[in-house]
Formats: sequence, structure tokens, C-alpha cells
Amino acid sequence: MEKRAMIEIQRLGKSFRIAGGKRHVALEGIDLNIREGEFVSILGPSGCGKSTLLYMLGGFVPPSSGSIQVQGRPVTGPGPDRGPVFQEFALFPWKTVLGNVMYGLRQQGVGKREARERAMALLHKVNLASYADFYPKELSGGMRQRVAIARTLAYDPATLLMDEPFGALDAHTRTVLQNELLQIWERDRKTVMFVTHGVDEAVFLSDRVVVMTRSPGRIRTVVDIDLPRPRVRAELLVDRRYQEYVVELERLIEDVHHERDAEPAPAPVAKTTLKVATR
Amino acid sequence: MRRILETLVPAAPLILLFVVWESAARLGWAPPNLLPAPSLVLQRLLELLPDGEFLHHLGQTLIRLLGGFAIALVVGVSLGLLASRTGGGALITVVRVLAPIPKIALYPAFVLIFGYDHASKIALVVADTLFPILLATFHGARAVEPKLLWSAWAAGSGRFASLFTVTLPATLPAILTGCRVALLIACVTVFLAEMISSTDGLGHLLSLAARSFRMVDMFVPLLLISLIGLLLNVALQFARKHLLRGQS
Ligand SMILES: Nc1ncnc2c1ncn2[C@@H]1O[C@H](COP(=O)(O)OP(=O)(O)OP(=O)(O)O)[C@@H](O)[C@H]1O
Ligand SMILES: [Mg+2]
Repeated sequence: MEKRAMIEIQRLGKSFRIAGGKRHVALEGIDLNIREGEFVSILGPSGCGKSTLLYMLGGFVPPSSGSIQVQGRPVTGPGPDRGPVFQEFALFPWKTVLGNVMYGLRQQGVGKREARERAMALLHKVNLASYADFYPKELSGGMRQRVAIARTLAYDPATLLMDEPFGALDAHTRTVLQNELLQIWERDRKTVMFVTHGVDEAVFLSDRVVVMTRSPGRIRTVVDIDLPRPRVRAELLVDRRYQEYVVELERLIEDVHHERDAEPAPAPVAKTTLKVATR
Repeated sequence: MRRILETLVPAAPLILLFVVWESAARLGWAPPNLLPAPSLVLQRLLELLPDGEFLHHLGQTLIRLLGGFAIALVVGVSLGLLASRTGGGALITVVRVLAPIPKIALYPAFVLIFGYDHASKIALVVADTLFPILLATFHGARAVEPKLLWSAWAAGSGRFASLFTVTLPATLPAILTGCRVALLIACVTVFLAEMISSTDGLGHLLSLAARSFRMVDMFVPLLLISLIGLLLNVALQFARKHLLRGQS
């Protein structure tokens, strides 16, 4: 089931100029290929450059070195083939829920009536149809994030770039949205890059989990999550393989966390398949 | 009861001012030929308001005030938005140099260039109100959350289009604050211009009255321009409430 690479990241690096004219290396030597329709999560300590990596994929921030190709073409800027979902929602506060979801369609020249119909259909799908005329500030955090996801899904990007989209939500809402996202993904099979701090979330959602080192951020390990789909949370929680993935990743995160910044980061390992003992 | 209190509290200082001024005039604290009682001024204003000629002067002032403000609004917001984008820094340097110049000093030149009529006064109002609006827009636009723009660009909006679909609405709160300052400046400026050289307008009425020591008539235009400023501010608050429904 080898699909062609949707995203090819080669020797990607990013450094920022900081006070005193010095440069701060945020990311270094990132090599990663993501297949079409693959769900890849990125785990790593705070400040290791996960958001920066996503911003470069989105074309919002230029790389300092290396290259990113999406569907064989180098990334030169933002485009509707890559839809971001930010942790802070970043909804347009002056637009209603419907206006937010219609925005992308209108920008791409879809007529008002059709844009409205398609946006409403999408709002039905995320259970927000009755809130179409609300402003974002009148919604709860979970509802806002649903609107943000709907706004991005509206223009049908082939790739979703999600930066801790459920990080600010309570545990219950997070679970609900994880299930909704999984349903959408299982139906549309979009390529997803999903940044998170939640190990269980990463295992539950992903085909592969990328673990990053502390600054400068490099890829420490890539773990294949070999669990059957469609995944049902209640079943997974009692599944031994799921539990072992979670434990293993927790351990890796722990290790990364204890590495001191000053120590030279280990050479990046492109891919380490974690063997899960099956008796 | 609460509502009455809520409207009375902001009005209280005004009422107090009126009472103090009235007593000062009535009790002879100030020479009545220099400081007429406000009740007399108000009475004279009400007498004059239905008068066609007086209304003509009022109209002239309003045309200049609002015309100049409108031009400054359009130009200031456009330039401020453009300057906020990369490469716009040069424009702001120019603005920083021009902004501190007392614009009233340019007025003689404006009169020579544009004549005694509306144009020279409008030019002065534009010169005085442009910079507060431009700078408010520029700084507001610079502070727009980048992720709002990224969301728009990813959704297929062009750089130029996003200036109007994202930067402008996101900057609106700052622009409206700039407008508030600019409207006050416009009231002062138009009045000054009409006092210096004009054949009509409220400022001209004040000059005429002052020259013949008609003190009550001198205070009428002053009272009126301050009422205009008050009403414009109220109108702006209404606009703000409507425009910023989703924000703040
Ligand atoms: N605009 C910037 N200027 C300077 N340094 C930056 C900038 N953006 C990010 N950095 C630095 O790059 C590093 C990575 O930041 P980034 O936000 O990508 O981390 P992250 O992995 O997303 O962290 P978190 O999990 O807390 O969100 C940090 O050390 C940060 O200080
Ligand atoms: Mg981050």
C-alpha cells in the first residue's frame, strides 16, 4: 500500500536572529517523507520547533536551509492545498460562524449563494448549524475550534496542518473532537500533520508518530502505529498494543526531556520501527 | 432608576460646569461684559437656530469639517494600510517628519493656493487630521495577529485582497480610536481657519462678534462647536458599537 510522497522534507533547518545579532537554531536537519493520506503526529518538548516546522510547511515562514516539496513542487508560500488549524483558533472575530466558514470559498471565487450552501452543509457536519449567526466570541472553546476546522475544511485542502488544535480544550471536549476528526479523516483521507503534546492522542489518531529532540529540534525517532482502523476509543484503551505504544512513547519523551540542551543531539534517525511484542 | 443614574453620572460634570459658570456670571464674580451667563448664550443660540443666515454659517462649517475629515479618513486609512506592509517603512519615516509641523502655519499657503472658499479650510482640516488617522491605522495594522493573515492566505486570499478582508477589519478598533481624536482636531481646526480668514462659518461669526464686543454672540459659536463635537462623538460611538459587534 505504498503511496507516493505527499510531502518531502529534506535537510530542513530554521534559525532565528535574536537579540545581540546572534542566531538561535530552532530546527536542524529534518528529513521526513509523508505519504498521501497519511496521518502523522509530531511529539516533542516545548520549544523544539514543532510549530515552526508546521509554519514552514504552510509557507508562512521561510526555511533557513533545506527544502520542502509538496506534491513534487517546492513550497514558496501559503496555498489552499495546505490548510492550517492553529491552537489559538485564529477565527475572524468580525465575521459570524457562517462568515468564517464561507471565507475561503468566497476568496476562491465561489458565488455567495453556493458558498453559503456549502458552508451550511459543513456546519451541519460539525453540529454547529444552529450557531451559524453567532460571533466567535459568543462560542465555547470547543465550538470555536470546530469552526476553525470547518473553516479550513471548507476549501478542501489536500493536507491539514494542525498545531495542537485540541490543546486548549477540556478532556471531554478533546475526546469528542478527536473522534470527529478521525471520522472526517477516515472519510476524506486527507494528509494530516498533527502537532500535539498528548501521547495517547498521537497514538489514537496517527499512522506514524515523529518524536523530536530538544533544541535544536531534530527528529529523534519515528514510530509506526500499527493499529487497525477504524479505531474505536473504548476498544483501543483495553488493547495491549495501544498501551505498549503509549508506554514506549512516554519513555521516549521522558528520555528527550532529560537530555540537556548543551549535549550534542544524537544523529537524526530517519525511521525506527518500534517492534511491538505480540505473543 | 438605574438607567436614569447611568445617564446622569456622565452628565454631572457638565451640569456642574453650567452651574458654576452661571453663578459666576450672576453673582458678579466675573465682569458680565466679559463672561455672559450660559443661560443667556443658550437662549441666544435657540433664537438664532431657526435663522436662515445663521444656519448657512453652521452648514458651511459642517461641510468643511466633515469633508476634510472624510478625505483624511479615506487617505489616512489607505496609506496606513499600505505602509503596514513590507516596504512601507519609508512612508512612515516621512510621516514622522511631517506630523509635528503645526499645520496652521501652512494655512496662509493654503489660502493662496486654494482661495478663501471651502478648499483652503478643507485642506487644513485634512492636513491636521490625516496623521492621527494614518498613524492609528499603521500601528493597528502592524499589531494584527499574523495567524489571521496566514489563515486568509492559506484559504486562497491574495496579499492585496487580504489587506481589505483581514487587515482592515482587524484594524477597525484602532482606526475608530484614531477617528475620535481626529474629529476633535477637525472641530478645532475648522474653527481656527474660519477665524483667521473667512467670510462665513462659525469661526467667522465669532470674529465678527468679538470685533464689536458682542459677548453673548461670541459665545454662541463656541457653545455650538462644542455641541457639534459632542454629537459627532456620540455618532462615532454608535458606529463603533455597530461595526465592532463581534470584536472587543
Ligand atoms: N519569531 C521567532 N523569533 C525568534 N525565535 C523564535 C521565533 N519563533 C520561534 N522561535 C524559537 O524557535 C524555537 C521553536 O519554537 P516553536 O514555537 O516552533 O516551538 P514548539 O515546539 O511549537 O513549542 P510548543 O510546544 O511550546 O508550542 C523556540 O526556541 C522559540 O524560542
Ligand atoms: Mg507550538
